[in-house]
Amino acid sequence: MKILRINMTNLSVRFEELGEYEGLGGRALTSAIISKEVDPLCHPLSADNKLVIACGLLGGTAAAMSGRVSVGCKSPLTGGIKEANAGGQAGQVMARLGIAAIVLEGKPKEEGTYKIYINKEGAKIENDNTLKMLPNYDLVEKIKKEFGEKIACVSIGPAGEMKLSGASVAVTDMELRPTRHAGRGGVGAVMGSKGVKVIVLDDAGTTPRQPKNPEAFKDANKRFVAGLQKHPVTGQGLPAYGTNVLTNIVNEVGAYPTYNFKEGRFAGARKISGEVQAELEKQRGGNPTHGCHRGCVIRCSGIYHDKDGHYLTKQPEYETVWALGGNCGIDDIDKIAMMDYLCDNYGVDTIEMGATIGVAMEAGILKWGDADGAINLLHEIGKGSYLGRIIGNGAAFTGRAFGVERVPVVKGQALPAYDPRAVQGIGVTYATSPMGADHTAGYSIALNVLKTGGFVDPLKPEGQVDLSRNLQIATAFIDSTGMCLFIAFALLDQPETNQALVDMINAFYGWDMKDSDVVEYGKKVLKFERDFNIRAGFTKQHDRLPRFFYKEPIPPHNVVFMVKDEELDQLFNW
Amino acid sequence: MRIKVKLFGGLSSQRDFSKNEEGDILLELSKPVTVAQLIELLELNKKPFIVVLNGVILNELSTQIDSNSELSLFPPIAGG
Repeated sequence: MKILRINMTNLSVRFEELGEYEGLGGRALTSAIISKEVDPLCHPLSADNKLVIACGLLGGTAAAMSGRVSVGCKSPLTGGIKEANAGGQAGQVMARLGIAAIVLEGKPKEEGTYKIYINKEGAKIENDNTLKMLPNYDLVEKIKKEFGEKIACVSIGPAGEMKLSGASVAVTDMELRPTRHAGRGGVGAVMGSKGVKVIVLDDAGTTPRQPKNPEAFKDANKRFVAGLQKHPVTGQGLPAYGTNVLTNIVNEVGAYPTYNFKEGRFAGARKISGEVQAELEKQRGGNPTHGCHRGCVIRCSGIYHDKDGHYLTKQPEYETVWALGGNCGIDDIDKIAMMDYLCDNYGVDTIEMGATIGVAMEAGILKWGDADGAINLLHEIGKGSYLGRIIGNGAAFTGRAFGVERVPVVKGQALPAYDPRAVQGIGVTYATSPMGADHTAGYSIALNVLKTGGFVDPLKPEGQVDLSRNLQIATAFIDSTGMCLFIAFALLDQPETNQALVDMINAFYGWDMKDSDVVEYGKKVLKFERDFNIRAGFTKQHDRLPRFFYKEPIPPHNVVFMVKDEELDQLFNW
Repeated sequence: MRIKVKLFGGLSSQRDFSKNEEGDILLELSKPVTVAQLIELLELNKKPFIVVLNGVILNELSTQIDSNSELSLFPPIAGG
C-alpha cells in the first residue's frame, strides 16, 4: 500500500511508501499525517493544511463491513484536528488500487476546478471549469458520461467550492449516487480550498487485497459475519428500519432535543420515525434494507421515493431526521427527505445544517416548524447568497451573525441528536472529543439507552466519564480499521465477534494483536488528536458544554448536565 | 387503574385491546400489576428488550405500575 501525494501548488503527483505510517489505517492514518505534517496554527483553508483521504486497515479486502473511508484535516469549523468518515464505494476502490491514503497538499496558484482521475496506471490532474459550482448529483452524472459507471467518486458540492465550514465531502454509493458523506467539521471546505472538485477512482483490472494467512482470514471473516447476523440489532433491528428507528426510543426517554434543545420530547416524533419511514419506502417502491457499500451485511441504509414513486434521496438517517425535523419542530417526513437531498446535493452536513436552522429559528428568521422556509434556507446555500453563506458556515457562525445566545456547539461543532442532560454519558463525549460535539466518537447511547453491552443510568453523572473514555478508545480503533461503527453493537455483547475482528486483522497482516494492543492502538490515535489540538491552542476550557446545559433543566426529566468539570478533565488521564 | 402501552419497532400484541388514534393500547385494570405481569398480559409477538416506564428505562421488571402510567416497549434496536 502506498500514499498518493497530490501537490495542488505545482499540480504534481507522487506515490510514496507508507514508511513511518506503516500499520496505520483510516482515522489512525489521517490523524497521524495531520498531527505530524500540518502546522496546528495554520489557517485551515491555507496551502499549509492538508486533506487526507484514507481507507481502513481492512479496506479493499474480502472482510465484511470494511468499506469506510476517513477524511482528515485541520477543521475550518472547529480549528482542531478532524476525522469524518463515510460509507460508499471509495474506500474499497482506493484500497484495491493499492492506495492507503490520498493526501491533497498546497493550493493552486490560479483558481480552477480540478478533477483528479486515479486508476491502476497512476493519477492525473485536470482543470475542468465545466464542473464549477455543479451540485453533487449533476456532477456525478457528468462524470459518469466521461468515465463510465464502474467508478467511485469523492466530490464536493457548491458549499465546498465556497469553502463554507459546514461543507461535506460526498462519496458515491453502490448506485453511483453521491449519498454518503464525510459530513462533519467542514472537510469539504478544505477540499474546496485545494481547488479539487472531484476525485474519480477507477479500480478496473485490480483484485482484492490478499491476506498473509488466507485460511485464517476466511475463517475469522466467517465468524465475524455470523456474529453480526446473530446479534438482534445488527441482524434484525438495523436492517428492518435503519438508523431512524431511534426516533421513538430517544423521544420516549425524553432525550430527543426539540426546538433547539429546549425540550426532550417532540409531539410529532412518531410521524417521522423509522417505522413510518420504512413503511413509506416499501409502499412507494423504495427500499428500507440496503447496503451503502459492497460487503455490508447489516444493510441499514435505504432508498427513499417521493409520493409519485420517484427516487428522492437515500433513506434519511436518524441524525438527519432529528436535525432537520424534531430539532426545528418539523414533522413532515417528505419535507425532511427533500432537505436531506438538498444537503447531499449542495454538499453540507445534515447535522450542522439542522442545528443551524434551529438557531435561525431561535433568532426569529423562521417560525418553528416552517419546513418550506427551512428548504428555502438550504437553497440559499446553493445560490451562494449572503444569507446562504452564513447558514452554510454552521450553527456557531449563524448564532454570532444573528445574536443568538443558545447555540448548541462544542469546539464550534453542532451537537447531534441526543440531549446531554437526559443522557449524561453522551454529554461527556460531546465535551471531550477532540473532534468537537460528535456522538460517534464515544457512543454512550449504546449503554445509556439501548442496553447494548450493559447499562449505565443516563440521568446520573456517575460512571459516565469511564464509559465515554472506554468508548472513545474503542471507537478510535474501529474507525482505523475501515469497519462501520455499527459492528460495535455486536462487539459489545459478543466477545467471540470481537475476537473474530482481531483475528481477521492478525490473519491479514500476520500480526499478533491482542485486546490490550487494540486499546493501545485507540489511545495512540486519540493522543495524535489531543496533541494536535493542544498545539492549536485548545485548553481544558474547550472541553465543556455550552453553559445553558448546566443551567436550563430539560423537560420531561427536568435535569441539567451534572458531570463536573474536574471529572471531564480526567477523561484522557489513563 | 388506567395504563397506556406504546409498542415500537415491530412489537405487537396478539390480543384485541382498545386503542387510541395513534395505535397505543389503553388498558383499564381492576388491580395493580407489575411491569412483568403486564408484559405477560399483552401476549406480544416478540419479547421486549427495552422497557420504559414514564420516560425512565427500567432494569427491574418487578416494578409496580401506578395508575395513569405510560409503558413503552421496544425490541433490541440501535442506530446512530
